[in-house]
Amino acid sequence: MNQVGVLFERGKLFLPHVMMAADAMSAGVELLQDELASGEGSAKLGVIVNGTVEGDVHDIGKAIVSTMLQAAGFEVHDIGRDVPLQNFIDKIKETNADMVGLSALMTTTLQGQKEVIELLKENGMRDDVKVMVGGAPATDAWAKKIGADCYAENASEAVVKAKELLL
Amino acid sequence: MPIAHIMASGMTGMRAAGDLVARMQFSKSMRIGDAKDFVSKKLGVSNADLSDEYVMREIREELDIGVITSVPGCAKGIAAKMNIEKLLGININCCDKFRETIA
Amino acid sequence: MATEYFLRMGDGAKIFMSKEDIMADIEAGCADAADLGDIPSLSEDEMEKMLDIITSPGRIVGVEPGMEVPVTHDIGAIRIDGDQGNSGVGIPASRLVGSMIHERAFGADTMELGHIDYSYKPVKPVISQEQQTMEVCQQNMVIPMLYGAMPNMGLYYTPDGPFENPGDLMKAFKISEAQESIKSAGDHGIRDMVWIMQRLQHVGCDGVNFDTIGAAGDGDMYASLNSIEALRKEFPNMYINAGMAGELVLGMHGELEYDGTVLAGLWPHQQVGLAAKAGANIFGPVCNTNTSKTSAWNLGRSVTFMKSAVEASPIPCHVDMGMGVGGIPMLETPPIDAVTRASKAMVEIAGVDGI
Repeated sequence: MNQVGVLFERGKLFLPHVMMAADAMSAGVELLQDELASGEGSAKLGVIVNGTVEGDVHDIGKAIVSTMLQAAGFEVHDIGRDVPLQNFIDKIKETNADMVGLSALMTTTLQGQKEVIELLKENGMRDDVKVMVGGAPATDAWAKKIGADCYAENASEAVVKAKELLL
Repeated sequence: MPIAHIMASGMTGMRAAGDLVARMQFSKSMRIGDAKDFVSKKLGVSNADLSDEYVMREIREELDIGVITSVPGCAKGIAAKMNIEKLLGININCCDKFRETIA
Repeated sequence: MATEYFLRMGDGAKIFMSKEDIMADIEAGCADAADLGDIPSLSEDEMEKMLDIITSPGRIVGVEPGMEVPVTHDIGAIRIDGDQGNSGVGIPASRLVGSMIHERAFGADTMELGHIDYSYKPVKPVISQEQQTMEVCQQNMVIPMLYGAMPNMGLYYTPDGPFENPGDLMKAFKISEAQESIKSAGDHGIRDMVWIMQRLQHVGCDGVNFDTIGAAGDGDMYASLNSIEALRKEFPNMYINAGMAGELVLGMHGELEYDGTVLAGLWPHQQVGLAAKAGANIFGPVCNTNTSKTSAWNLGRSVTFMKSAVEASPIPCHVDMGMGVGGIPMLETPPIDAVTRASKAMVEIAGVDGI
């Protein structure tokens, strides 16, 4: 799957191929489960809630990130776009997520990323949940400014950063 | 930002001959060199003159193809574009529609 | 200590680097483009020229007299009256006034009319308004005046449109269903875009700008190229600009073709031939800015991609150089030093026909 991710980034493989590869990997892991140490093969890399913040209807970039994270072995809960900020908190609690991905494509909705981080703090959850931000106007400097754990430039980088933070 | 681009690289539209060169690019898919050659030949100037406000101001007034400042009596809008059609030997859609309207 | 020169990060922040480090970043950016696109890197002379442009002491730089190119304008007058996060400056002005400001005050070479949402789909219900505004603009303006919007196939998927969201289908491993949805959305988009432009041509519009083709992946490009082909057939003299969204056509579907070529995975030099074949007069290649890299890296990468597109192209190339593309920082108020340097490099090194 690592190689599939690289080829996707290079425009040699496309989203359907990524999903086919992920599907094949899951099937392979299932077949080999008995041969592997208990649970080792099927364990998810981590649980991630991913969505585009409220007021922002952009969906496609976020959907690609979700797909790539899922294909890499994370359990991804994509809660859509234009998501009320409280819904991120509720979904994190419900799924006991390790990380939340916050997407925004407009400068005006970028603020929502900061507000979710504040909500995490208010709910005493910040230390337990890593925060990744992305989207065209987001930058590494912005991530640092609002106290996110990382910024990812694209879907492939999102997988790399998620692995760095969660594994 | 558009102003920064125009100052750095632009032909400055009606201040000089940018609109004319752009029309040839759009209407005949001419590359920049060909479009400049075509327009400069029509105007009887050099390619460099096409971005020279000093040269082009007088030519635009003489040919009545629209000038950047609001000179009373100079052709504006469709009137200026009809003169551009004659100069460049092209048809401009809104001029066609205008002619259909008054026919 | 080596002399340091100021330049920008991809997010616009000012940084200082030595000439050697700047050159290393230019080389790395060029190499990245060359590697991804399987295209030639810039020559040593071209990289040296880029270095000279970046380290030029003046705040503003410009092309040599005689090398100027037309600067076309996308997004319409939204830049003037927009105030909802679309980079507009919120000046209450009609679109006619905004367009005339571009023509008479800014010295724009072409202009376009666009509506506040700037996607084709929502134009359909307000087409009479758009026709009326276009008619008034054509009566008053002299420079070429196009109609522009984004194909934006995202609006055709649930919850915004009639077709099931391929992102959701894909995540559920319903791959063929996702592909079918993308194709259906594309076909619907073609119908809408052609219908809209038929009506605008009827009131004297000069032509059309397809802005950010491929933003929703290969389905977006499929819809745009087929719309261009249909419009060219119906309006032989129509001005058609095909402007891209990024350097790579993302493969959401993966198998859609135009003229026997798979659209997914195409780089600028491969995209331009298809745009020309469909009937575009002008192609707008794009290279997105990486905000975590320097402007030297971004400009090297961007100019390399654009140069290859210009060389492969049978039609003029007007490179997209708004915020976050073409080596320009991703910032709503891109620094003038960075904009003018990118502008000059793109004209004098990549050899673009316009901006």
